[in-house]
Amino acid sequence: MEEEWTPKITLFCCNWCSYAGSDDAGVGRKQQPPSTRTIRVMCSGRTDPGFVLTALMEGSDAVLFTGCHIGDCHYISGNYKAKKRFEMLKEILDEIGLEDERLQLQWISASEGSEFAEYIRKVTEEIKAIGPSPLRQEWMK
Amino acid sequence: MNIGDRIVAWSKDEEIKKEGASGGLVTSLLTAALKGELVDEVIALQKVSEFEGVPIRTSNVDEVIKCSGSLHAAPINLTKFAVRFFEAHPDGTLALPAKPCDARGIIEQAKRKKINLEKTYLIGLNCGGTMPPITTMKMLEKMYEINPDDVIEEEIERGKLIFKTEKEEKAISIDELEEAGYGRRENCRYCETNIPVMTDVACGNWGAGKNETFVEIFTEKGLKLMNNAIELGLIETAPATEKGIKIREKTNSVMEKVAKKWHKKIFVPIEDRLERFHYYMDVMEDCIDCEACKYVCPVCACDESKCIDFYDPMDSHKISIYHLVRLLHISDSCIGCGQCTDVCPAEIPLTILHRRMADRIQAKYDYIPGMDMKIPPSFEVE
Ligand SMILES: Cc1cc2nc3c(=O)[nH]c(=O)nc-3n(C[C@H](O)[C@H](O)[C@H](O)COP(=O)(O)OP(=O)(O)OC[C@H]3O[C@@H](n4cnc5c(N)ncnc54)[C@H](O)[C@@H]3O)c2cc1C
Ligand code: FES
Repeated sequence: MEEEWTPKITLFCCNWCSYAGSDDAGVGRKQQPPSTRTIRVMCSGRTDPGFVLTALMEGSDAVLFTGCHIGDCHYISGNYKAKKRFEMLKEILDEIGLEDERLQLQWISASEGSEFAEYIRKVTEEIKAIGPSPLRQEWMK
Repeated sequence: MNIGDRIVAWSKDEEIKKEGASGGLVTSLLTAALKGELVDEVIALQKVSEFEGVPIRTSNVDEVIKCSGSLHAAPINLTKFAVRFFEAHPDGTLALPAKPCDARGIIEQAKRKKINLEKTYLIGLNCGGTMPPITTMKMLEKMYEINPDDVIEEEIERGKLIFKTEKEEKAISIDELEEAGYGRRENCRYCETNIPVMTDVACGNWGAGKNETFVEIFTEKGLKLMNNAIELGLIETAPATEKGIKIREKTNSVMEKVAKKWHKKIFVPIEDRLERFHYYMDVMEDCIDCEACKYVCPVCACDESKCIDFYDPMDSHKISIYHLVRLLHISDSCIGCGQCTDVCPAEIPLTILHRRMADRIQAKYDYIPGMDMKIPPSFEVE
């Protein structure tokens, strides 16, 4: 039986805001597709570009950077660093021919459960529309 | 003498003057710096043949004298040798001849605290480009019909590349050679920095007469270098002529225009996304994981290499993470020196890949690497 393809999306959440936000979405029973693989980091500033590249090479169809809103980072400037890394990664992924949608950045606070669920629904639809990542090896499920 | 002065100068020692590329000034400045105890050590390029030079680090004046003359077909970058000096002697002082790409590499390393620029005397060499040694030997056989071993002198004059042997002298225009796939290295063709304005003094033969060097002084250190050599009675100077100054400026601006043209010709944008993807996949496929490109890179400054942190030669990724991290990591500081392409045993056009990425990032953050110490690396977050 042909199953409908769901993308695999790697989601980096910071411990203090976006992870709590995703938790809030779950507790509030907000509907979201089972497309994300969540990795909790202490701060969005911990999201090394190497993590992102590894995720993409190992079969993720998209990677999402999430963290506290600018000004709210619990380590003061972690999300500024995340933003800069995101911008640089965007350039290189575009340069090697990856679609714009495959790397995204979203600030999510601990209380934004419904925004979080809404965002995951939106991204999953976007990735479904563009299909599997060209970086994914044929043998990767 | 003042900062900003433009003069011509030459060595008082007849032997050095004769052996030097244009009057032996650079050699005399280096020896004077050692004799006058301005510096502890000097880096220079020792000639093995017209097509090979070995960088040496020495405090022996005689060895420095043996290094005089320009090696146009020894495309080496001296940055990492200067880094090694400061690793061994954190408080030492150093002097070295520096083409624009040597100087820019050194400044980027200084920004990352690997080189103490205040204790480094940079004697800038104008540079119109270097040539790949093996290709140049082939060119000599094919285009010049000269045996590479017979070459005793090589010279560039009015856009022509001249080779001399005991018996004959042949000149062919550089444009013609480059059309045929010879001539300068690809990255030198599109390099727009010919006069190293980021050094202490810039030396060159543009605008100077026979056996003299045109010098422009940029810094306090440069002034010290010149005065030291004058006091020791090693060099002679004269004001530059109006005509000389004009010739130098004109030649420089012509070279810049030619470089821009080459840049356009070589970096044709690949508009289609999927085509770009396949391009990167194809060129990087040949990588044999030797990491040579990382060792020679003059701007790579990690203590523990970031580029191999996330990568394993056993990976079966479509595009190597090693190269992607390197592309990212030096995109702000890449100066386009071409060392990575030179050493790649798999002949991956690495310099082109790095330049494609660096052009994007450097334009985006409005940052030109290696020009001065004022602006911090663009990776720094405000
Ligand atoms: C590759 C190259 C291209 C050049 N192109 C131009 C040009 O287009 N226009 C111009 O005006 N001048 C150019 N020059 C500079 C010029 O050739 C002379 O070096 C300069 O005029 C100083 O002459 P000199 O007699 O005082 O140097 P010398 O006393 O002969 O001393 C030269 C010094 O340069 C070092 N050296 C030689 N080859 C290299 C190399 N490949 N990389 C680093 N160091 C080296 C030697 O070790 C020596 O210490 C170029 C030099 C080089 C090396
Ligand atoms: S703690 Fe959330 S971004 Fe730094």
